[in-house]
Amino acid sequence: MADTTVKKSSPALIALAWAIVIIPTAWGFNFTLQNAMKLFTAPSAAPTAPAK
Amino acid sequence: MALAFLDRDHSIAPAGYSRWLVPPAALAIHLSIGQVYAFSVFKNPLLALHGADGSAWNLKEVGYIFSIAIAFLGISAALFGAWLEKAGPRRAMFYAAVCFGLGFVIASFGAGSHQLWLIYLGYGVIGGIGLGLGYISPVSTLIKWFPDRPGLATGLAIMGFGGGAMIGGPLASQLMAHFKAAGQPSIPYTMIAMGVLYFIFMMFGVFTIRVPPDGWKPAGWEPSTNHSALITSHNVAVHEAWRTPQFWLLWVMLFVNVTAGIGILEQASPMIQDLFKGGISPVAAVGFVGLLSIFNMAGRFFWASTSDFIGRKATYFIFFTLGAVLYFVLPLTRQDKMNSVPLFVGIAVVLLSMYGGGFATIPAYLKDLFGGYNVSAIHGRLLTAWSAAGIIGPLIVNGILDHYVANKMPKQDAYPLILHIMCGLLVIGFLANLMVRAVDEKFWLKDKNVVVPQGAAH
Repeated sequence: MADTTVKKSSPALIALAWAIVIIPTAWGFNFTLQNAMKLFTAPSAAPTAPAK
Repeated sequence: MALAFLDRDHSIAPAGYSRWLVPPAALAIHLSIGQVYAFSVFKNPLLALHGADGSAWNLKEVGYIFSIAIAFLGISAALFGAWLEKAGPRRAMFYAAVCFGLGFVIASFGAGSHQLWLIYLGYGVIGGIGLGLGYISPVSTLIKWFPDRPGLATGLAIMGFGGGAMIGGPLASQLMAHFKAAGQPSIPYTMIAMGVLYFIFMMFGVFTIRVPPDGWKPAGWEPSTNHSALITSHNVAVHEAWRTPQFWLLWVMLFVNVTAGIGILEQASPMIQDLFKGGISPVAAVGFVGLLSIFNMAGRFFWASTSDFIGRKATYFIFFTLGAVLYFVLPLTRQDKMNSVPLFVGIAVVLLSMYGGGFATIPAYLKDLFGGYNVSAIHGRLLTAWSAAGIIGPLIVNGILDHYVANKMPKQDAYPLILHIMCGLLVIGFLANLMVRAVDEKFWLKDKNVVVPQGAAH
């Protein structure tokens, strides 16, 4: 039964709902990513093979 | 009734409600309760606390807080799953928010007065019940809103649980630093602040969640008649489901997948430093742990949504074949063999993505086999596999490491054994997945053969 006067959820409301969960996730993701980058940027504690 | 607004009848979606509002509601819950994975940030501050008599807690005692919380996650998910099917997701999410928030507040009193039992009771027992209720509450609602993409929908929510630690960890660290700088008791105040913040955030989910009206289906979507025999158009009630071999096969699959993942997660930082002695600094090892958590989270979404296209059985086939091969190869990358850090890291992140994927794909597998009618309750009982793996996994890993250390054997030699045991476990999972067949007709719900997308239970 189609009702042409049905009020649909506003796209702005949907965007806001997603923003509420995406913003803290992005903040945490950025924090974790910066930590993860240390794997590639941190200097090695010692050479991996003995120098000859 | 004062809390009548939580009833299922009050949360039925009005016409025109967009189903794309449901995943953020579910994510608000899962991003919050996923904080439990970041509980380790409280470990050192709790160890540094002293009671009035000068006593301090040890690492083992503090470690029990997390274990109790995970145990109560599994227990409450199993116990309250059937109730949730009747009460609806909004009420379950509300109680989850109350328990999770209250758990923090009670734990804060425990930290403030140096009484560990209060932290066990608050964060462990009451918070753990909140974890279990929150974990399963949005699952069947998402499946009913997204009958065309159940893997994607549940993957999104369960991805939130993986991502919760990414928020909870830095949030706790920064709050503790803030209160410490202000000269206030840092752990109790941080716990109270987090309890309040998470309660408010979870309330967003409570008030946003809606269940679809009976008979609702996405516009223009018709259930496919050309699908695998493993996708049923019938339903199985929870009290029948757990008598089926399929339930126990999936239990074994979840158990071995989680146990294998714990094999890496439990010792990620020391493992990479031990296998590449002198080649990986402690700071780089922290980066490795961060990378694992990103792939753990991303794998939940990637594999669960992929399973919508290739099927659940094929997805787990990949987990258990590729996973077994990778667990076998992983120790061969170490310093005295291939000596390849990039290969070690590359393999580990793929394995962790499949660990997360195993969690996120299981609800859709359950829905395929047992229908959508009682899927939350069945999922709740299946999560006991997680609790069991949470005990057995660390026992295997720490038991072997302790044995090597106690016998003065090189610790790095223990890892190949641990990882090859995990490889063997995945072979068991492979066999279990291979044995999964359609559920026998005798278990079908005879009087309510509702077609999957209909909201029969809530």
